[in-house]
Amino acid sequence: MVNNKGKSSGDPITRWLVIGMVALVVVVGAGISIFNNTSKKAAVLPSAASVKDGYGIVFNDGLTPVIDVWEDFQCPSCKAFESTNGAAIKALVVEKKAKVVFHPLSFLGPESVYAANGAACASDQGKFLEFYEIMYANQPAENSGAWSNEGVIATAAAAGVTGPEFEACVNKGKYADWVGNVGSEGSKQSINSTPTVLINGKEIDRASGAYYSSSEFMKLLTAAGVK
Amino acid sequence: MNLATLFTPARLNWLGLFARLTLGGVIFVAGALKVTTPYKSAAAMRAYELLPISIANFFGYALPWFEVGLGALLILGVATRLSAFFAGSLMIIFILAIASAWARGLSIDCGCFGGGGQVAPGETKYLQEILRDVGLTLLAVYLYWRPQTKWALEPGSR
Repeated sequence: MVNNKGKSSGDPITRWLVIGMVALVVVVGAGISIFNNTSKKAAVLPSAASVKDGYGIVFNDGLTPVIDVWEDFQCPSCKAFESTNGAAIKALVVEKKAKVVFHPLSFLGPESVYAANGAACASDQGKFLEFYEIMYANQPAENSGAWSNEGVIATAAAAGVTGPEFEACVNKGKYADWVGNVGSEGSKQSINSTPTVLINGKEIDRASGAYYSSSEFMKLLTAAGVK
Repeated sequence: MNLATLFTPARLNWLGLFARLTLGGVIFVAGALKVTTPYKSAAAMRAYELLPISIANFFGYALPWFEVGLGALLILGVATRLSAFFAGSLMIIFILAIASAWARGLSIDCGCFGGGGQVAPGETKYLQEILRDVGLTLLAVYLYWRPQTKWALEPGSR
């Protein structure tokens, strides 16, 4: 054991140096977290995104009912929801039976951001739904490295979402700030888990089982006025 | 055998080291697991339904960093008494928050080590979470009472 007899109790320089450094890391880190999760007004938006719809990608604006879909491309429960109800949602869009707003969240890490950015790029090409479908169908393990920008491009190509413009958009993370804004909007609207689906602004009750049962989900859509 | 011979200062210093590394290690890891996923951390904070959304978001973003810093001070053994005070207070707040979620019948994960948010009603672990935090609180109380520990960067830690 070190003999501390000669010293005063504690070394004030070490103490304040360490406390100072730790405090700096904490303040800077927390500041960055808060800043990154604040909406950036200057963010470039994909053409289908709408600020008043929480930065979501909007289909069939003006129709009712309104379906909001909050998902993270990397979330396994979202994949389960998509395989159960993805076709029904696609039909709402294609057959113009409802206004559908997609909010790709990105809380599972960097690869969620790449994927969500890719979705915005695909949306500009008019191929959002194709992108959505192929990404969930090929969802890899979380942050396994599979969804780098290259991986996103390769996955999307399988659904015919290709082209130099799309690739450039993915590679430079053109819509990364928009992805951040979607997330910040999700925080404001208290979207606490994924998938979260709202029908006319009302969150589907998880106890209803509608997330993972297509018949229950269809019941809710019918009740909301979808013919 | 009397207690004074059993709990010699040297042995208590070792016990202090154990308390410091356990408490600091848990808090540091808990923070580090969450700093990379601030969105999730904010969602976990909101899921307690205790704070207004914007304030819950603020703490969701800031708390993981605070934990990293607090854990680092404990691991290094600097300002041990002060850190133990904050760590103990934090644990008591956590215990109250978890107990409150339990009492209100919410089904959430505590979000202590990332994760968080709603879970299926049968999957809550409130009792384990509270017991773990009670144990950590005891370590904090011990360190506050006796902050002198083995291998501390600041030996006469206050």
